[in-house]
Amino acid sequence: MYDLIVFLALLLLGYGVGQFAERRHYRSIIEREAKYSALPAIASRYPPVEPRYSQVLVTGSTVVSVDYFKRFLAALRNLFGGRITPYESLLDRARRESLLRMKEKSAALGASMVFNVKYETASISKGAGNTIGSIEVLAYGTALIGPHAE
Amino acid sequence: MKYRNPQIPEGINVSGRHPLRELLILAGGALLLIVVLSWLFGQFGGRLARLLPFEREAALAPESLLVSDAGPELQAYLDQLGRRVAAQMDLPDGMQVKLHFSGEDTFNAFATLGGNILLYRGLVAQLPHENALAMLLAHEMTHVRQRDPIVGLGRGVGIQVVVTLLLGNPSLEVLGNAGIYTQLHFSREMERTADAAALAAVHRLYGHVAGAEDLFEVMHEARENAGTDELPAIFSSHPLDGQRLQAIADAVRARGWLDTGATTPLPGEFSAWMQESAARAEARKVSE
Repeated sequence: MYDLIVFLALLLLGYGVGQFAERRHYRSIIEREAKYSALPAIASRYPPVEPRYSQVLVTGSTVVSVDYFKRFLAALRNLFGGRITPYESLLDRARRESLLRMKEKSAALGASMVFNVKYETASISKGAGNTIGSIEVLAYGTALIGPHAE
Repeated sequence: MKYRNPQIPEGINVSGRHPLRELLILAGGALLLIVVLSWLFGQFGGRLARLLPFEREAALAPESLLVSDAGPELQAYLDQLGRRVAAQMDLPDGMQVKLHFSGEDTFNAFATLGGNILLYRGLVAQLPHENALAMLLAHEMTHVRQRDPIVGLGRGVGIQVVVTLLLGNPSLEVLGNAGIYTQLHFSREMERTADAAALAAVHRLYGHVAGAEDLFEVMHEARENAGTDELPAIFSSHPLDGQRLQAIADAVRARGWLDTGATTPLPGEFSAWMQESAARAEARKVSE
């Protein structure tokens, strides 16, 4: 009986806090994405040859963990299959946040764009059972600073 | 060449489904699945267990639990009362009931595998007369007759299989409560059957059912004195005391049984026997 009460309390707490944080985060993401829209992140490996830019490696990384509510929902999904929707928004936020952090660094360097942008993910709790699942999302690329006059 | 990042519409990588709706559908489905499968596997396990011959059951009896703290006089008294009650129970041929008595203060009595019944002093010493004791014996003997201990075991194993197979994920352990609930549903059904059959046996034995309900009065009082409130019915393996008393009253009315009559007192030495058994239990604990 007490197990059930503790469980429901944790679920409710996870839901309340998790949803609040998620909404706030999305507001911040959308706002900052608009702010840095003038600094494009390009997947292409071939930067423009002319004019000349100096090149710097830039990275942005985020570590995210899942709340109690989302974890329970995902575990339920494992029974039936289908889209694990609670993780979709979590990872979407992590990807966008990483890219934004990379752009923030690039902007601080005075870059005008970032080339060869890629993502890497790493599971931190990989293989360890019953630990809190958390992953890192790393965005990196080559910031082009300039152009410089020859 | 012009490089730019176009504004991408929101929600491409995220499903718009509301998480609470998702929870409701998934948790509801999982609970339903567990309850239905637990019920099916429980029934199956119970039926399978019933196929085990009664004679074989004795080998599974929990010997270490079946202590005997009764002195020879108490054991003889219990055995003769047991025989009188058993005579009213239509026990199948070859089904032997063995009564064991523990001097411990535990407020309990139960029937277990192999036709063994364990009575605790904590409960028996509080019974006001023989009729209540006969009701208790008849109740436990019904469990033996219905083969409830082995069927309960079979059902428990069946339900455990479902819960373990479905809920391998530690995050889902809480859903195992649905399996426990199904198990309780089964056991409450057994208790109701046992109450009804015991009442009929007591009626045949004494010609009236006066005093039989005192068994539940004693239980009700003990529970109140313990200070623990009665748990909601679904969390208790036995129906609530009030419900049991009501069911008895209903049965008495429906059958037109006489519910007044002289109750048979317990033997005069009964309380001395109780003390003796308590001392034996103490000695047994020390020697262990």
